[in-house]
Amino acid sequence: MTAVADAPARHRPPRAGGAATLTAARLLRIELRRSAMPWILPVIAVLFWFDSYRFSGGAPPFWVQRTFWNMGQGRTFLDFAPFVAGAAAWIGSRDGRRRTADLVTGAVWPRWAAQLAAWAAAAIWAVGAYLVFVGVMFGVYAYQEGLQGSPPWWWVAVGATAVAAFTTAGFAVGAFFPSRFAAPAAAFGAFLAVIVSDQNGFRDTSGWPLILPTNANGNYQPVSGIFYPYLPDLPIARVMLLGGLAVVAIGVLGLPARAGSGRLRAAAALVTLAGVAAAGTASVLVRTARLTPQGIAIPALHDAANDRPIGYTPVCAQAAGVPVCLNPAYRRYLAEIAADLRPVLAEVAGLPGAPIRVAQVAGRYASGMFEDQDGVTVTISGTPPVLRLPLDVFNTLPSATPGSTGQFDQEMALLSVHEFVAGNGVGTAAQQAVQAALLQHAGMPFAAQPQALEIFGLPNWAGADLQGLVVGSESAAGPGSPRGPVYAAARRFAALPSATRHAWLAAHLAALRSGQLTLGQLP
Amino acid sequence: MTAAGVQSSPPGAVSARLADRPVVASLRLARLYLLSRRVPAALALLVALGAFLWAALHWRWNVAGGAAAQALIPLTIETGAAAVIAVSTHGPFGDPERATGRWLPWLRLAAAVALTGAAFGALAAGAAGGVLPGGTLALLRNLAGMTGTGLLAAAAFGGAFGWIGPMAYWLATESVLAAHWTTPWIWPARPPHDRGAAICAALVFAAGIAAVTLLGARDSGRRPAPD
Repeated sequence: MTAVADAPARHRPPRAGGAATLTAARLLRIELRRSAMPWILPVIAVLFWFDSYRFSGGAPPFWVQRTFWNMGQGRTFLDFAPFVAGAAAWIGSRDGRRRTADLVTGAVWPRWAAQLAAWAAAAIWAVGAYLVFVGVMFGVYAYQEGLQGSPPWWWVAVGATAVAAFTTAGFAVGAFFPSRFAAPAAAFGAFLAVIVSDQNGFRDTSGWPLILPTNANGNYQPVSGIFYPYLPDLPIARVMLLGGLAVVAIGVLGLPARAGSGRLRAAAALVTLAGVAAAGTASVLVRTARLTPQGIAIPALHDAANDRPIGYTPVCAQAAGVPVCLNPAYRRYLAEIAADLRPVLAEVAGLPGAPIRVAQVAGRYASGMFEDQDGVTVTISGTPPVLRLPLDVFNTLPSATPGSTGQFDQEMALLSVHEFVAGNGVGTAAQQAVQAALLQHAGMPFAAQPQALEIFGLPNWAGADLQGLVVGSESAAGPGSPRGPVYAAARRFAALPSATRHAWLAAHLAALRSGQLTLGQLP
Repeated sequence: MTAAGVQSSPPGAVSARLADRPVVASLRLARLYLLSRRVPAALALLVALGAFLWAALHWRWNVAGGAAAQALIPLTIETGAAAVIAVSTHGPFGDPERATGRWLPWLRLAAAVALTGAAFGALAAGAAGGVLPGGTLALLRNLAGMTGTGLLAAAAFGGAFGWIGPMAYWLATESVLAAHWTTPWIWPARPPHDRGAAICAALVFAAGIAAVTLLGARDSGRRPAPD
């Protein structure tokens, strides 16, 4: 036996940290109960329903499109920002308004710690309400409206961080300027900031404005969540910026002499610097952002795994013996698309280069709000030839909106026939005439074609085709009716018996596509 | 240490005989009421907002977008002015003031109307800095309507939270402007001479004035307001 073994056991003193944690939890519970934040939540709920949910109702039933307004353009947090900033300013100004700052300065807990408890309660209410409201909205989207694709979770994180940042900023305003006017001043400032950034988010497509959480340019387009994952690079930078700003505001609260001891103030200074570093780093990183086909990538934050396409088993239908296959997210349009393409495919069946399959392909990100700013590009390529449809680029999909189905039907036929006859360039007069005749037999009368060529979002060739078909008969009232040499040739060609037309096309299609034929050479 | 001087009035106080005069007493009451509502600070803020409007118009601060967006900053400033007026209805005394203040409804009415007039004056002066979309008539209509929403919010949620009304109204309006709605209840979206919009704004202003005059802001009566 040794002396060590004989020594009496020494008990560790009770941990002070446990008591402090318990006290902090109690303080937080009290602050949660007395917080003014819940009082404004009913107003935000009404506004949220009216602005964020109701105004996004007309978009196609895909997560990325239905949430473009409320997540991509940040309306959800915009509906929160002024109110949580104002309410937090009211909470933060409590000690000053009640002239109790001296009392709490002399309390056991440092003033900064007590302020943090009040701030945490306000932030928990605000962020919690944001997550609940968004959760309810997403629940309605998922279970009642059956949206396809995947939800934009990273944008939810950005919104929650933004709500926390505005809460913190408002709290700091109230703490430093304790007055009844602190709340409206904070709300007004938040309001001005979000409204101005919301409007300017429409304009700036590169550089630092991309960090604005209301800026949807180049980072929220229909290919995401269906063909590729949402790229988290930009949302991460935004979370860094907003989180950093919130941390700065928290740290600044602990800097004044009355906030606590010297060590505590030094800690507050470190917190402030950390926030500045996070926000500054995000601002620098966003300047290195570049546009990729999958969205905005920031090299330092980019994970190559996010560039991999989302796997899927296509759903197919038959149209004139040709399989038409789509991403299962677009299943609801399959019958409509097959019906649109059936007469077109029947017209060109057996001709050289006629597609033996129709497949949906992914669009590509563009720098603005929408994919492919130059218009929808339908292609026929490969051996054997496949008609490739980037449906996510289409300006209009069939929906409850009046006229949308008719427009989509016309667009589908027009794009497919033009690609088959003239490729993606402006057609020659002969190509325009053959295109018009084929469309006539595919169910689009000559009289309807000028209007179809005016559909918004078509490539530039549509304007030239329209000019060829109407030859100056357009006016402010509309595109006018078909007339002129192209129309005459088209009528002549369309009047041929089907077998004759088919045989002529089989013999002359190569020459027609290469632009060697003139109108006079058409039968 | 003695008690000498304890009963002497503070410097500048009105003597008892002078205070007995009705006119002096009324003026004193009005002054104290205005001070309790922080009206001088509210006036200073309204002047600041007028200066802000002047600067925005003079240097043509603007945001991207169409015609609706061009009015965004002026309308936001008008919202701020309405919020200031609404918050000035917050009273610190609660029940005692309600129980003893016979003239309280008249004071509330006079203060709200006077502050609205002052806000209009400050913003109209600020509008001299450039071209205000819609002109002075639209300014008067929009300010009055938004002030009405603020006063209604003050009656419902408390004076300290009166700013919620104009802010919520303007946020909803901003969405509606983007959607090209034309209901007269969204008066900022209508032309300055539109009668329907003017009537709607006037109705909301009248309702707000009536609510604040008769009921007061929520925290000045029996109904407790949030802390």
